[in-house]
Amino acid sequence: MKNLLFASLVSLVVSQHAISSNSIMVIANTQDASIEPTRQEIRNLFMGSVLSYDLKAITLPPENRARVLFNTKVVGLTESRIQSYWAQMRFSGRKTQPKELASEVLVIEYLQTHPGTVSYVSADAEIPNDLTILFQIN
Amino acid sequence: MLSNGLKKQLKIIRILQSIFLLSLSSHFLSPCGVPSVYAKTEDALQLSGFARVVLGYLDESDATYFGYDDSISFNQQSLVGLQADYKILDNLSATGQFIGHRGSKRESGLEWLYLTYTPTRSTQIKLGKQRIPFFNYSDSLDVGFAYPWITLPRQVYSAIFLSTFEGVLANYQWSGGKIGFDIEGYWGSFDDVVSTLDAEVPAKVSALRGLITKINYDNWTFRASYHTGDTIIGLPELKEFSSVLGQFGFIQSAESLNSDGKAEFYQIAASYDSLDYFFRTEVTQVDTRSAVIPNTRSYFVTAGYNHYPFLSYVSFAKNKTTYGAPAAEIPVGFDPQLDALASGYQSVFDALPLLDSQSITLGTRWDFKSNLALKAEVTLIKANQDSIGNNNSSFVVLDEANFDKKAPLYQLALEWVF
Repeated sequence: MKNLLFASLVSLVVSQHAISSNSIMVIANTQDASIEPTRQEIRNLFMGSVLSYDLKAITLPPENRARVLFNTKVVGLTESRIQSYWAQMRFSGRKTQPKELASEVLVIEYLQTHPGTVSYVSADAEIPNDLTILFQIN
Repeated sequence: MLSNGLKKQLKIIRILQSIFLLSLSSHFLSPCGVPSVYAKTEDALQLSGFARVVLGYLDESDATYFGYDDSISFNQQSLVGLQADYKILDNLSATGQFIGHRGSKRESGLEWLYLTYTPTRSTQIKLGKQRIPFFNYSDSLDVGFAYPWITLPRQVYSAIFLSTFEGVLANYQWSGGKIGFDIEGYWGSFDDVVSTLDAEVPAKVSALRGLITKINYDNWTFRASYHTGDTIIGLPELKEFSSVLGQFGFIQSAESLNSDGKAEFYQIAASYDSLDYFFRTEVTQVDTRSAVIPNTRSYFVTAGYNHYPFLSYVSFAKNKTTYGAPAAEIPVGFDPQLDALASGYQSVFDALPLLDSQSITLGTRWDFKSNLALKAEVTLIKANQDSIGNNNSSFVVLDEANFDKKAPLYQLALEWVF
């Protein structure tokens, strides 16, 4: 009985973890509490479009799990399409791709010290109080 | 003789060149050493580049197609590009892009060299030598990594011989909730030698200008553009013959051989991308005032399937060229001299190349690293024939009797950005 209870507890924790690790949060260092971007606006922001809010996007490397989820759930494009898009933008002098940081920890640290920046991390990441969660997608 | 406007532009280009070289030398002489990963994107000077190795084999011994024949060739489209962006001020930067190429129809050199002024987040103004944004991919023709195909559909992308201009380009973009909007206009000139299928011809275009609008809606992008310019094409024999016709009083005939004048280009395009599928199409039209410069209509349609890190596609492209009708002005059968003139006049029209063809392409791309892709492509090219069965296509026919007006082209490519 004890074992069964333990096993179900473990499975509960594991499944909880599985759910949360498939979710991502879009976080920003902003004083503007009124910002409520739509999924499409966040997509545009990370594809280099100019929006009414002046936020600078920061991304994670291509192999990062949160990035894979972000590509799938928010951008709606494959990694190779995103890479080819940025090649076209860069070498035609139109836009440059967002700054890329190696890990979620570095992203959170960078956001904290740079007002006006926005990025995404997995939903189980601990978000410091000085950053705002703009959007969560499961 | 160079016009004053052109001289001014050349001067601007030279100034840009020196700024560019100065910035490069200061970077390489800097004692700071190798920049860190952070500094890399925040440095005043950023260096980047791209390279492609394209192997091609045309399975046909009786003709060649854009330099490809029945031997494996890697010179036609292989290239390396190096770009330097130097931030002069927060809203002012200089960019140069050098292309190294070994193809027979192209020379290596600076393909882009311009200053970018960004007065607001939405507005960009560029001054200098730039690519003419005729097509969807005109500005990234050399960057094979930027598109799914190995060769952009020739029937569409070879309709225009100009590629760069010197002048000013302004861009304004705006993006709302679901819809994004981009408008661009440019003004400048072109003065260089252009390579046609079998000749090098000097060409000048003044008052070269265009307007491009782009709308993004969800995963769709629509683009429409209009371009025009006053063209002077150096065809001395034709000019001479035209003046002879004029001396005989055949003004309409003389005028019909005038290769100079206004040319117009229209383009519409749509593209769609999702996680699973993609779609691209472009429809273009070139209209000229001259009876001896071709009017071209062309289009392509590509549909593809994404199975990351692979994608596969099928593509169809077709073009059609037409010319103005010759003037029926010279009387025939009265005077041997006039007969000779009339037949000479008719022979000009008979010799005008109709570069019509269609192609079906099957291809696949494998993004095996985030900055490296391998592509394979098979294209079946079919020449359109005129009513008497002559070859009227981009094929250069070696053996007219045996060539069956179609050939498969096999290509392999490695695309790299760095």
